[in-house]
Amino acid sequence: MMEAFKELQANPQAGLKSAAKAADRKTPGWRDIAWRYGLALFAIVVALAARTALESVLRGEASYLFYMPAILIASAIGGWGPGLLTTALGLSLGLFFVADIRTLTAADYVDAAVFALVSVGILWRGELLRRFRGAAISSAEDAETRAAHLKSILDSIPDAMIVIDDRGMMRSFSAAAERLFGYSAADVLGKNVKMLMPQPYRDAHDDYLNRYLRTGDRRIIGIGRVVVGQRQDGSTFPIELAVGEVNVHHQRHFTGFIRDLTERQQTEARLQELQSELVHISRLTAMGEMASALAHELNQPLSAIANYVKGSRRVLDGRNDDSLTPLRDALDKAGEQALRAGQIIRRLRDFVARGESERRVENVRKLIEEASALALVGAKDTGVRVRFDFAPGADLILADKVQIQQVLLNLMRNAIEAMEISPTRDLVIATALADNNMIEIRVTDTGSGIAPEIAGQLFQPFVTTKRHGMGVGLSISRTIIEAHGGTITVGANPGGGTIFILTLPAVAQEETSHVL
Amino acid sequence: MSSEGAVVHIIDDDEALRESLAFLLSTAQIAVRSHISAAAFLEQLQDTNLGCVITDVRMPGLSGIDLLKRLRERKIGVPVIVITGHGDVPLAVEAMKSGAVDFLEKPFDDEVLLASVQSALQEHEGQSKRLIERAVIEDRLAALSKRERDVLSGLIAGRANKQIAFDLGISPRTVEIYRANLMEKMRASSLSDLVRMALIAEILGSG
Repeated sequence: MMEAFKELQANPQAGLKSAAKAADRKTPGWRDIAWRYGLALFAIVVALAARTALESVLRGEASYLFYMPAILIASAIGGWGPGLLTTALGLSLGLFFVADIRTLTAADYVDAAVFALVSVGILWRGELLRRFRGAAISSAEDAETRAAHLKSILDSIPDAMIVIDDRGMMRSFSAAAERLFGYSAADVLGKNVKMLMPQPYRDAHDDYLNRYLRTGDRRIIGIGRVVVGQRQDGSTFPIELAVGEVNVHHQRHFTGFIRDLTERQQTEARLQELQSELVHISRLTAMGEMASALAHELNQPLSAIANYVKGSRRVLDGRNDDSLTPLRDALDKAGEQALRAGQIIRRLRDFVARGESERRVENVRKLIEEASALALVGAKDTGVRVRFDFAPGADLILADKVQIQQVLLNLMRNAIEAMEISPTRDLVIATALADNNMIEIRVTDTGSGIAPEIAGQLFQPFVTTKRHGMGVGLSISRTIIEAHGGTITVGANPGGGTIFILTLPAVAQEETSHVL
Repeated sequence: MSSEGAVVHIIDDDEALRESLAFLLSTAQIAVRSHISAAAFLEQLQDTNLGCVITDVRMPGLSGIDLLKRLRERKIGVPVIVITGHGDVPLAVEAMKSGAVDFLEKPFDDEVLLASVQSALQEHEGQSKRLIERAVIEDRLAALSKRERDVLSGLIAGRANKQIAFDLGISPRTVEIYRANLMEKMRASSLSDLVRMALIAEILGSG
């Protein structure tokens, strides 16, 4: 109601006009009086002129008859006062002309009395007529005021309102609807409402309407639902539609109230984003604490191992004995692995602590080949056939190589494990260009597959299908991939087994300052 | 060797680390003494031969940074190499500004550690080695674009990518690209390596 009130304040002409008219009616001004009495006099003069012109024919008869219409007009338009004036003048003039011709008889007096009586009757009817006319005008004005009021309310509610008839033709299109759809009311009135919908609803709407008219089966009327609207410029947007039905004079109309959901959906999307961020953060916090504690505890022994191994390697350096060569190699490699372990921990810790890691522009193919070299140690013995399928163009990603390789290593090891008892053991690692400038990596196996009841929560910490697993591998994998701005999903391999799909943001060659 | 008689002092609260480090240095014919804490080291300061010091940062009692400050107060000009299991940038910056000659993350490559110790022990030669290293680093710095330099300053100030992106008015992804490019150009193996290089260039440059 406040809105309607404001609207009235902002656009007060309609209200003022009707108020002025009402004031006119209640206290007539001198113009009005002059007009009414002037009309009465004019009517009498006309009647007198007519009577005088016909005197040669009438010869003193029908002295009063000519004044009757004048009385009727004067009383119907001017009311009692002008009516009485015309009556008095008509009576006087009538008597005057009769007296002019002959001596007044008793019959003349009766004649005058009858005229007076009939005139009073006319006056009374005229007054009734006048009142009725006034009431008609006033009710028309009231209706106009009410309509203006209603329009101001409808114009000010944020929901758009559209009225259609039973053939779907638009009969009313509110100001909010104009704003929402970008059409003016004049553009759309009389046209089918389906023009406001995108396909496939556009073609289906007439059928919806006909079905309802035929069956009375309510799908949307009185229920409301979220649908899609289309603006004049062709863009679509989500709307909440509530439809009511009106029956007036056996004509069915449907009134639709439409609310733009764009903003609400944006808010909801943002909320959802925040929530998932929160989940992510809490997952990170738990893991971050673990990683930080692990890093601290493991770095010391790892450093000690590296120092002993490297020291031993130096001791051997002093000996010129060829039989020690394999030992030198082994110590070199042991030392490198100790350093690599330290690097993994360091990156994991940096990454969970800061949410970012050391990312370089990396070649996807190289990254996969290196990871699989580690994952496939001993895989040939288990009879696993490995195939790579690198798509051209899917080359560069911005990634922490160590982390992504860990994820791939993890997935490939899982796949090999899952295929232990399978008759066919095929592992396929494929890359592809995906939508939104992403590169997709698919790891497909022909193993035992994943039970549907566990697939949904596979990426949660401490969920595992392995008897001796901790269930943190996939959880960490997901955290790593998501922190890279990618996604990790799991699905069933149609031929039996599992497909893990990673996506990672692609980097264009021209974005890098060096050649890979 | 000009460092003959000079002793490297290892300060770490972890016994395995002390012993392994002593073993590694001894294989390079370097004399070593181990200390369980910075306080224990400071107590024996008079009757000891100071070559250089390798100290952990986080220890019960005096930290590695505290030790650097005490040595400075006492005007003892022994070169100090700081090693840590927590390679965060602000810590590295603080250590270098407090006078450490080097900052290494555990576990470290033996070559890197030994080179650092050698250059600390052979001060004159070390100085010239440092000058060469600085020249190399400065060449690499000169190859950076303005934006890469901006990102580098942000990283040295210990800022996260997102914060740098906000400060520079560019997207975090762009910061990441610049960061990856500048790491490549600087041939830095890690963030703390990058910080180390930047600090060597800066500190030597200003001093």
